[in-house]
This record gives sequence, C-alpha cells and structure tokens, in this order.
Amino acid sequence: MPRIACLLVPDLPVAAVCRADPELAGRPLVLIEGSGPHTRVIAASRTARARGVQAGRHTVAQARVLAADLAVHARDTAAERSAAHALAEVAASLASRIETAADGAVFLDATGVMHLVASEAALAMALVTRAARVGLEARVGVGSGMTVARLAAEHGDGTEVVPAGVEQGFLAPLPLACLAPTPDIATTLQRWGIHRLGELARLPVAEIATRLGPAGTALVRAARGEDERPLAPVPLPAAVEEAVALEYALDNLEPLLFVLRGLVERAVTRLGLAGIGCARVELALGLDDRGRDARALPLAAPTRDVKAILGCLRTELEGHPPRASIVHLVLTAVPEAVRAMQLGLFVPPGPAPERLATTLARLSALCGPDRVGAPAVVDSHRPGTARTVPFTLPPAEGPGCSPADTVCRLVVRALRPPRRLEVFTERGEPVFVRGEGLGGRVVGAAGPWRVVAEWWGEDGVARDYYDLELTDGGVYRCYRELGGAAPPAERAAWSGSAERAAWSGSLDRWYLDGVYD
Amino acid sequence: MSAAAALLDRLGRPGDVRLGTAPALAVPRLSTGLVGLDRALGGGLPRGRITELAGRRSTGRTGLACAIAAHATQSGETIAWIDVDDALEAETAAAAGVVLARLLWVRPRGVCDALRAAEILLGACGFGLVALDVGDVARPCPPPGWPRLARAAERSGTALLVIEPRRQAGTFAALGLEVTGRRARWSGGPGRLVLLDGVDSRVMVVRNRVGQPGQSLVLRQAGA
Repeated sequence: MPRIACLLVPDLPVAAVCRADPELAGRPLVLIEGSGPHTRVIAASRTARARGVQAGRHTVAQARVLAADLAVHARDTAAERSAAHALAEVAASLASRIETAADGAVFLDATGVMHLVASEAALAMALVTRAARVGLEARVGVGSGMTVARLAAEHGDGTEVVPAGVEQGFLAPLPLACLAPTPDIATTLQRWGIHRLGELARLPVAEIATRLGPAGTALVRAARGEDERPLAPVPLPAAVEEAVALEYALDNLEPLLFVLRGLVERAVTRLGLAGIGCARVELALGLDDRGRDARALPLAAPTRDVKAILGCLRTELEGHPPRASIVHLVLTAVPEAVRAMQLGLFVPPGPAPERLATTLARLSALCGPDRVGAPAVVDSHRPGTARTVPFTLPPAEGPGCSPADTVCRLVVRALRPPRRLEVFTERGEPVFVRGEGLGGRVVGAAGPWRVVAEWWGEDGVARDYYDLELTDGGVYRCYRELGGAAPPAERAAWSGSAERAAWSGSLDRWYLDGVYD
Repeated sequence: MSAAAALLDRLGRPGDVRLGTAPALAVPRLSTGLVGLDRALGGGLPRGRITELAGRRSTGRTGLACAIAAHATQSGETIAWIDVDDALEAETAAAAGVVLARLLWVRPRGVCDALRAAEILLGACGFGLVALDVGDVARPCPPPGWPRLARAAERSGTALLVIEPRRQAGTFAALGLEVTGRRARWSGGPGRLVLLDGVDSRVMVVRNRVGQPGQSLVLRQAGA
C-alpha cells in the first residue's frame, strides 16, 4: 500500500505575505483585493481571526473596528507562487515523486523515503523543519492515500502520522465540512442526520450514487479514505523564482537592495535544500510607468553567498539604473551544481571549490566580472592584447620545476592604453623622450622592430618598436605609429579638439607601451 | 632533602622560567625558486605573513615577483595576482614560466578595492601566494588596511607579497625586500644589432622578523 505525505501551509496567501515581510508575522493581518475601506477582506491571519475578523464577511472598515492595530495588505499572487514553489522544493528535497495541488498543498510519495529518515514521524518533522528554513510554517500529515494525508495535515497535530489500517478510526470523528461538500449535498446530508465522516462512510455507495450523483459517491469514498486517483508526479522547474509586489514605488537603490536582499536570501535558502549553487541571476523589474526591465547577470561561479550575489546586483544596478521607479520584482536564480574536483596527493591543496566560487563571485562584484579571471594569451598578431577567461582550478599535477640560482626573466609592465610620448630624434634615432611621469635623455636604445598586423582590417597595426633606457632610470618599451589610426581612447580624447587636424596629419606618433621591470 | 624538593629541583619550581629561551616558531615557507634568495630568506617567503617587495621603476621587482609566481604555480600552488595598474602582460608572464591556468588575475579599480580584494582572497584559504601589485606610482594605502591584511594572511596561511615602489606596511610586514642598483645590459654595438640583454639589480633584505635581516644578493634578469 502506498504511503503519502501531505505538506501544506494553512492560509497560504497570508503566509506568503508574511514570508516576504517578516515584520508582519504575529500581527493581525488581512488581505484585500482592491482598495478603499469598503473592500471585503479575502484572507485573515490567525491573530486577526482571533479578534473576530472573518474573511469574506467583513470589510476593511469593519475589521479595523475589531482590531485597531490591523495591518491591511494587498494580495500578492507573485509571492504566493514563490511560497508554493518553495514548499514544493522542500518536499522535493526528500522525495522524488511529488504533486502540487492548486491551493499550494504538496503531496509526496513517502514509500521510498525511509533510507533518508528513520521513520514517518521523522519525515514529518524534517519537512516541517525544512519548511521553516524557507520561511513557511507548514503542517504535515502522513497516510495511506492523498485524502487521508491531507485530512491528517489539516486536522492533526501538525506532524500527524496515520498508520496503515487505522484510517477509518482517524477519519470517523472528523466533521463533514472537512470534505467541503457542495451546499446542496451538505444540506441533504444534514437532513439525513449525517454530521461526521464516520457516519457518511457507512452509507452504501450505490444508494448514494442514486440519490446524490457522482459528487456524492466521491464524497463517500473520500470519507472512507479512498482516493479518486493515484499520485500524479510533476517535475519542478529548475530555476528558483522569488517575487514581491511593492506597496509603493521605489526610486532609490538602497531600499531596492534591501528588498532584493530578502529575495536573494530566500532564493539561496531554497537552492541550499538541493545542495546547489546559483550560476546566473535574472532580475525582472516591473516599473511605475507600466514598463518592464529585465536583465540577466551571470556569476563567475555557482555560489550560495548572499553577499556576493547582492554585490553583483548592486554593480549591475549602479551601472545601468532602471529608467523608472520599481513596483514589482521577480528574481530568478538559475542553479548549477557547485563544481567538485579531484585533489592530488603530492600537490598543495588549492581553495575549496565552493569557497573559490564564492570568492570569484565576490571579486566580480567588487571589480566587475570582466576584470576577474585567468589571463590568457590571445592568438593575435596585435601586440599587447589581453584577455581573461573564467578561472577554474586545473587538475592537480605534480611539481614540474627546478630552482634557478639567481637568474630570472625580465618582464614588461604593460600600459593600457598606451601613453602618448614626445620623442626628439636625430637622424631617425630617438635621443630625448618626454611624457607623463617620465622624461630624460636616451642612454641606451635597441630597435626598431617593425610590427605590421591585421592590415586587412580597419584597426590595422603598423609600428616600429624600440627599447629605450633613459636617464631617469627607466627602461621603456615604446613604439612609433606608422601612419595608422590612433588608438580608440586617444581618438576619443582628441576628437573635436583644435589639435585634431595636426594630430591626424602627423606620421610620427610615439607611444609608451610598457616598462621593463 | 625531601623527595618533594628533589622532584622540584628536577622539574623546576613554579615561576622558575627563564624568559627568552622559548624556541622560535618555525614559519612555513614558500620557496621563491631562486636558490640564492631562498638562502638569504631562510627558506623562502614566510607563509601567513606580509612580504614587501619594493623598488623603483625598472629595477626588476616585477620580474622577481613573476619568478616567485612561476615557481609557485609550477609547484602546483594556486596563486592570485591583484593588479591595480592592469599591467600584467600574459605573454611575458607565460614566458617567465607562470602557469597561467593556476593564476587568478584580479584587476581592481583602485588601491582600496585592491586591499579589499586581497582580504577576500586571503579569506578564501587555499591560495599559496597572493601578489598585490600596488602599481608603478607610490599610492598610500588606507591605515586600517595593513593590520587587517596581516590578520587575514595569518589566518589563511597564505604568503602575501606586496609589490610597490616604496615600503609602507611598516611593522605589519614580516619581511621587507628592496630592489636597488639597477644596471641595464645591452648587447651588440656599433655596426651590430643592439639588444636589451637584461637588467642586473641588487636585492636587499631590509626587514626580516622571521630570520636574519641585512642579507643581499645580485639578481640577474635576462631579456627576451
């Protein structure tokens, strides 16, 4: 016989709003659709209900009379959807076959879960604990069918387990309203003197079918703990989505980041249930002018570090602010498994993969994603081109070097972009150099080494390179441009100036490209 | 003499401790790959400490740092290079022997960001060497930067090598190296092809809290 667990959150709309804004938890809260004091309450929190507020019956004005400190909040369907998905992910963290109901309840096949938890009671407790981690106060029921599990969750002690064979005993004392019969059937059954599920379960199905039709038959079967259909598992979406509708438009970055922090924290907690990291963040912003702003933000490596993700979001939003105030946010975390790697026995251990991922994400947030990575040699004839590739730890290799005595290689410190120089020449040879931060007589020179590259394109390179030692103590790598176009940065700096004509007309443009150091 | 007194004589009485007799803590080292420099430093750069490598332009301090990075990456270490001036040239670094795949290149937009990046990298634990290239121009670092970095380096056990024109970490650096006395070597002459043959310079250990200061050696750097 299959064993089914049901995980549900009573008053999911209220719970979703409290999850998005934890300060509302414990306060008398009602949800409305629309605005104005005569709007009818569609959902009320437990505290509000204790004060006498009834959903569907009272208006906001009436509810305020019953509870003076009442919080009134618009229904947030996006937050409800996020909460329902979070609940489904809690179930999916312990079971592979799950089904979600329209009202957010989740059914999971508990048959094969015993290798993860000690007992069904432990399963129920684990589900409640994990639901609390994603900010939801859930109830769990375990039974031999979906109906029994659901009724156990709704009417049990919060982690109710109904053992196989005693379902009838559990269901019998429950009131008829548990099965939510239609008003006609409920009236008929009351006229017959049927008030409990046990009484309904004893009625013959054929007679009920004759008098109440298929709906009555289904009701009797439910009262007996029989399901209409087996569990129909559905796959969960891979991406984790968290959304919130704001009560008022945000036009400043700091409050927006405050709201985003909550979304990121909740998304990361959900990813943590499956032990995976976030590889890309997608942010969809609903704007006050009814527009939409969508952006995708790849992270340097999969991570669950809230600070790193928030840093990337801050960098992105500071660089490209939205064009209008924000009224709605949807954050989607696209998951990816955190990379694992095999360590070597005889090589030093590098940073742990998950920690490295977090480090890379933080550095990307600090410096920009294109400024963090492994340097790569570009396959190009153009000198001085640099490129970074995503940094991943290479496989471990044994030591492959032998120490030298006191000889090493002279390297060049590149200047990006190259710096403009004034060079005085005699018979074509440089004799004096002057530029930003340097200047002096040439005391040693080598060159020219001609480099002609990419002449077939618009940004062709034709240069004569020189190594120059100056009296200021520096040894420099300079080049003279041979009639080609000035570098883009120089072009931008000089465009529109009076000297532009002289600049573009000159064929002796000297640049400092690097310093030997 | 009682047995108790004899026992106290043998084991020592409470408070009978001679100060300054504790053995020096052995600091793990990261070999520089240069035998002479390792000998002068007592085994290499101290791990978990700040090492300053100071020198004026063209004295060869970047070449020396690249040589250390090359030896570390070839030994299987994962290292990071924080490059404030965006001055690292991949081709010359690879030619100097650096295994680029084991080098994380970080290009912050200023000294403050560079110090923050160094702290993040030290916090990651597992990098054998973090090289912080402050740039060719002397830029003062914010005062709380060095003690924070010193603590972070000690916690992580990573050798932090600061490459700069002038030493500025003060007492927070365990080791201070200064590269001076540059002399460029040119080959060829009149009628012959002239080439930059290399640069000779002198490396001095001006500060050493984990060994003997005052050592020096001549460093020869070969051109391309």
